[in-house]
Amino acid sequence: MDLTWPEKPTLIGTKVPRLDGLAKASGRAKYPSDQLPEGTLFAVMLYSPHAHAKIKTLDVKPAQGMPGVKGVVAIAKEGATLRYQGDDVAAVAAVTEEQARDAARAIKVEYEVLPHVVTEPQAMAPGAPEIVKGGNVRKGRSQDKGKADEELAKADVVVEGKYALPVITHVCLEPHGLTAKWEAADKLTVWSSTQAVQVVAGELAEAFQIPVANVTVLTDYMGGGFGSKFGADVWGRTAAELAKSTGKPVKLFLDRIQEHLAAGNRPSATGTLKLGASKDGKLVGLIAETHGTGGSRGGSNFPLPYVYDVPASSRSHSDVFVNGGGARAMRAPGHPQGCALMEAAMDDLAEKLGIDPVQLRLMNLPPNDPRTPIYEAEVKIGAELIGWTANRKPRGKNGDGPIRKGYGVALHQWGGGGTRDKKVSCTITADGTVELKSATQDLGTGIRTVLAIIAAEVLGLKPTDVVSNIGNSTFPPGQASGGSTTTASMAPPCLDAATKARDALFAKIAPALGATPADLSLKGGRLLIEGKPSISWKDACRKLGTASISEMGATPEGLASTGVGGCQFAEVVVDVETGVVRVKKIVAVQDSGLIIDRLTWDSQVYGGGIMGLNYGLFEERIMDPTTGVMLNPDMELYKLAGATDVPEIVLHAYEPDDQKARGVIGIGEPPTIGTAAAIGNAVSNAIGVRVPEWPMSPRNVLNALAAASKDQEGKA
Amino acid sequence: MRKHDPKNGEEPGGASRRDFLRGSGLAAASAVLTGAATTALDEARAADDGPKVLSGEVEITLKVNGEDRKTTVEPRSTLLDTLRNRLDVTGPKRVCDRASCGACTAIVDGDPVYSCTTLAVTCQGKTIETVESFDVGEQGVPHAFHQNDGLMCGYCTPGFVTACKALLDKNPNPTLDEVRRGLDGNICRCGTYIGVLQAALDAAKAMKGA
Repeated sequence: MDLTWPEKPTLIGTKVPRLDGLAKASGRAKYPSDQLPEGTLFAVMLYSPHAHAKIKTLDVKPAQGMPGVKGVVAIAKEGATLRYQGDDVAAVAAVTEEQARDAARAIKVEYEVLPHVVTEPQAMAPGAPEIVKGGNVRKGRSQDKGKADEELAKADVVVEGKYALPVITHVCLEPHGLTAKWEAADKLTVWSSTQAVQVVAGELAEAFQIPVANVTVLTDYMGGGFGSKFGADVWGRTAAELAKSTGKPVKLFLDRIQEHLAAGNRPSATGTLKLGASKDGKLVGLIAETHGTGGSRGGSNFPLPYVYDVPASSRSHSDVFVNGGGARAMRAPGHPQGCALMEAAMDDLAEKLGIDPVQLRLMNLPPNDPRTPIYEAEVKIGAELIGWTANRKPRGKNGDGPIRKGYGVALHQWGGGGTRDKKVSCTITADGTVELKSATQDLGTGIRTVLAIIAAEVLGLKPTDVVSNIGNSTFPPGQASGGSTTTASMAPPCLDAATKARDALFAKIAPALGATPADLSLKGGRLLIEGKPSISWKDACRKLGTASISEMGATPEGLASTGVGGCQFAEVVVDVETGVVRVKKIVAVQDSGLIIDRLTWDSQVYGGGIMGLNYGLFEERIMDPTTGVMLNPDMELYKLAGATDVPEIVLHAYEPDDQKARGVIGIGEPPTIGTAAAIGNAVSNAIGVRVPEWPMSPRNVLNALAAASKDQEGKA
Repeated sequence: MRKHDPKNGEEPGGASRRDFLRGSGLAAASAVLTGAATTALDEARAADDGPKVLSGEVEITLKVNGEDRKTTVEPRSTLLDTLRNRLDVTGPKRVCDRASCGACTAIVDGDPVYSCTTLAVTCQGKTIETVESFDVGEQGVPHAFHQNDGLMCGYCTPGFVTACKALLDKNPNPTLDEVRRGLDGNICRCGTYIGVLQAALDAAKAMKGA
């Protein structure tokens, strides 16, 4: 019989507190950066103070003689080019961290400072120094569908707008890094703050030419990754190298500055969009020229057109190279940018057409797309929850006082499906222990608890009765946590493993109970024989004697799916005298198939909205064109929301039966996509003009107001 | 210990800015004035009325979670690095390392402080409480965070829990606005504030039931 999710679950879909929540909240959870094996040395990185420089000479000797120093490695070689401030130069391991910092400073480096470009205007200016061969701007092939120029020429209404979003950084609270300890000459244990224990193990095995089976990567907890922590990285390999050369465990975690500079970022996005429609609001065409920077790496492209049905489109994108740290995947890579640009243009079009922005969106959902009826239902729910019809006034009709209220909306999409080659083992022993094992890891999304809920559901136990062991690279293959794929990859093999283990247990103990396996079931911590409560779970397990059950779960068909939609609404107030924007309310309506733990699901959606609020209001990496350095590699001028910035957030899980029937789909990324777009639209609704640049900071808001009043004067 | 040379009659007994800079600017033997490294300083003061500088390695005893812990630090060592690197007290986390995010919050003599910008040598003789010492039962703050899912990755959580405990110790009946203000010195990147705010209100109720 095909394995299916239980029709009447008692745990799945309820609010279950995390298994490790108390450990985290009481400071008992040991993160990789908390590990302190006996004799640990502290390692510190030396990184480039220049945006672009060649190393003329590099002398680590002065560091070697410093107090407490046990090991020094040069990462960059003499003659090498450093491509951004924060690029790795060398590392030092010493008895105390203070000593390691002093020694890193004592390393003598002679730099030949090269001309830099750190902003896109600087990189794109005529005569700009070329920092990569072939030029700083790499234009991708135009992606065309139909003849957009002809369609726009025939369109009743066309809007043209230029919109821009800045580079932002991940700001994982636990910095990137690891603690490394060699157990033997060819046997390595590391505690790594990572989203992929098995990727890190593979990378270290390769670097040190040892079998991957000899590398154990442990990640019981980790303090945030958001897409930036998939590998061991230079610093991880360096820590292991220092541990090898010194014969001591070495702990190396980046400082906050290098974390901002070198450990990943979300690329910027700038686009000129021409969007046309018939006068009744049907989109006819889009021409978009966009660019963005992934720093020293490419990868700044993003999806556009986004969500809506655009019959003809022409899209060209250019990667702009600057002397900045390389981009890494960041929560829903590309989508927040594509969403913000598309939704801004949609709103500006609605304004010009004189059509309600919500109506314009509903009119232009793709026909014959399974997501369309879901969007229609979700938008209706969201509009009601924000009070769209009752509260929203047309753009610019929000009074003459200094404080103006406004409303905005945005739609988003994501995949969230899983892979099909991951495994979970379920072991039941005679003392009643149920242990799950898999080499996935919990980023804070709650997968440890999700797995326990599934096993507990099958075995009639409480989630806390299940030992959910993950975060160990030597366990059965587990999913790397990116792309919202973890739950959809791991939940099916977990259900399979627990079901097989239960059936094996029944087969084993049924004869001793004078029953057949088919007579047995489990509920509320008891074994049932023909539906009648019999012995307790523990007593049932005791009948295993010296035997134990261990089953490996694979991925049966039909338990997971992919493809979600959702919409977000924002209510803001803007002070047009100071430019200060406050978000008063966010409504998030989200589908994601079958929800396993509603408590951690809610947290993901709340958190996605708050991360989106940061993108909408506060965050930007500020580079100084003159000196080439980042001006805010910290947490006071790199702004993130605090408790007083967080608005009322109303969330709605769109989960009718046909959604549940789709099985499990990931939720980590989708709820952060549309927030900044909805906030941008709410601000323009409030103040009557488009603020074309994110974040919606006082500077950008006042600039937009000033530009608009200049326009007015020009016309007058 | 290096003795201060009171050249040109600089203000006696006080921490002159120039001395501070001179001391902390030294790379290997960085030094810093401290008002609380009392015993050594008092003795020195008796012999010499000038400002006092600590340098090199300093043996100190810190009262952490009710226990006297002896360790060796440098005058520049922060309370946070001393707790984490020397005493293996890892509840407080190092995140911004410059008093912006609150992940390192500890309670010193009843007040929440950023331990990343508090010097360990100034904490001698004071009562230092970290999250590890809090009640983990149903009346405690950690329980309320757990039940409300006031945590995701959890790295900011010890700081929030500590700030929350310090707030409730002083104001057992906070309004939501008071909770927001009381926790505004802390930053969460996962965006777990909704659960955190509810946890603080629930913890206030639970503590009264204790």
